[in-house]
Amino acid sequence: MIKAEPKTILYFIWNYFDVVRDLFDTQSKEGIIRKEVLEVILEKGKKDIKTQFLEYKILRKVNDDYELRDVYYKLVEFILVEFRPLLPEEIEKFGTSISELFRKITEGINEDKNILIERLRGLSSQIKEFTESVEKNSIRLLNETRELKSNVNQIDYRDKIQKASFWIQYYINPLNSILDVNHSESITNKLLDVSGFANQKRLSITDETVRQLFEQLYFQLIQSNDDLLRQSKLLTNELLPLIERIRTESLILTGWIEFLRSPDKVSPPSLLKTRNDNPYSTRAYLNAKEYFEQFITQEDAVIENDEENHERWVFNRTFYRQRLAESLPVENFFDWCNSELGSNGGEMSNEKVFALTSLLFDGDVEVVSASDGSSMQIVTGTSRLFVPKLNLKKNGLP
Amino acid sequence: MDYPESHKKIVEELLEGKFILSREEHYNEIKENEEFYVSFFKASFGHELQITNEFVRLVSEETDEKLSRDVSIFFAILCYELDKQGKNFLDTLQYSEFSMDEINSLFEESSWIDLVHSNKHLKDSDARKRFIFSSMAKRNIIDKIADERFGFTAAYKVFMEYAKDLAQKTLEDKRSQISS
Repeated sequence: MIKAEPKTILYFIWNYFDVVRDLFDTQSKEGIIRKEVLEVILEKGKKDIKTQFLEYKILRKVNDDYELRDVYYKLVEFILVEFRPLLPEEIEKFGTSISELFRKITEGINEDKNILIERLRGLSSQIKEFTESVEKNSIRLLNETRELKSNVNQIDYRDKIQKASFWIQYYINPLNSILDVNHSESITNKLLDVSGFANQKRLSITDETVRQLFEQLYFQLIQSNDDLLRQSKLLTNELLPLIERIRTESLILTGWIEFLRSPDKVSPPSLLKTRNDNPYSTRAYLNAKEYFEQFITQEDAVIENDEENHERWVFNRTFYRQRLAESLPVENFFDWCNSELGSNGGEMSNEKVFALTSLLFDGDVEVVSASDGSSMQIVTGTSRLFVPKLNLKKNGLP
Repeated sequence: MDYPESHKKIVEELLEGKFILSREEHYNEIKENEEFYVSFFKASFGHELQITNEFVRLVSEETDEKLSRDVSIFFAILCYELDKQGKNFLDTLQYSEFSMDEINSLFEESSWIDLVHSNKHLKDSDARKRFIFSSMAKRNIIDKIADERFGFTAAYKVFMEYAKDLAQKTLEDKRSQISS
């Protein structure tokens, strides 16, 4: 069991990646990290971190020596894109497992659902591993052949041909057979059979879980077949004609291959930087930002609850209609409003004045404006209202 | 003081980063006034004037590294792919015309496809066309022949020299590693 937190382990790898890389290089070359070599690597970095390497289970003891655990080895391999070339036998094993799982799936399609699901998942995982292995191997073989083409190690022609023949005979040709769609026993061909079957089952099977798994498998195979086709083209166009390609050497091509390996790590040729004449200042954006920022209100807006509880005023039309009828005739309607609202307490408001004004439109009263056309002022909580002096009398009376 | 007739054009084009090619009239004016222009650009802008039999250009520490890197990646992949097809890439660059279809096919089929797809200027056919017919044409690195066809001017040699120097440096580094 690992006591350390996962983040602590990842931080440790990040922090001591140079040491991890040295260990990876050593293991890639020698297959193991000798005790003495480990001491040298740790001493070189002046790091006393052997305990952590073992405690975090990054290194494993093998007798007196050490090795990086497989999961960490593969992680570094993937990050550095430095893959070990796989022998064809290591890739062919996927063909066997894929065939076997496929056979059991087709034969047991109507048997136990749980084992069918597990087999489908297993098949998907094997296909994934197979595709990744082919891709990793192609990358490695491509690097090897580019190195032969660029020949920075200045190997003489005979040795170069010998090396190329070795790669072709033991790696490139067998990989080509694995991928060759015209070869009936190739894994690519097996995958086409699986794909056809998955396509048929994703449409016909009734159980939804199983149907979905067949569908996933089918779409995974479409992607895998594309990837494998690309790798196959690479083999045919670039790797198989290796001997022909390394016949010629060019210093320029050596330079370009070295450049393409890591184009961001070398300075490119000088090319004059032009001065752009913009129709606006290059600082226009910052100036505009500064200008607008001065108008941004920095104070926080606070919404306060009303502390006073105002009792809501409801216009009682019947009550006021009756009060008005009793007061008729009225010399000045708005004086009457003032006194009515004042006598009932509460603050004078626009709402109250307008509500009482609606009484003027009842048919019970006759409204006559003052003969001199004079007006008066009503002060409410929010406004000053200028209103005419209105004389009211009961409708039909002189 | 009397300036050469095309003085304004010469200064403008060179400051725009253009290669002035030997077939252009103002190339001869520069050649005739070589001493003047070398000191003029040095004194006025601090730039070196590089004059070869095929072109004139300004070289400076103020370099457009991004554009130069992308042009270099373009030439590197093109040379690699032409060689893969069994062609003499130097002859092809010097004497052949290229169509965009040909370029697209070479780049899409390249084993450097990850690098192609991650490069803003080379990632797809539209980006490549813009890069060749705008960025490279503006600097006189290519000659536009038709809407979809072009050839390289002698400016490509700057990039070939660069690759050669880089190879020599790598080989020297390897040698010194072995000897130490």
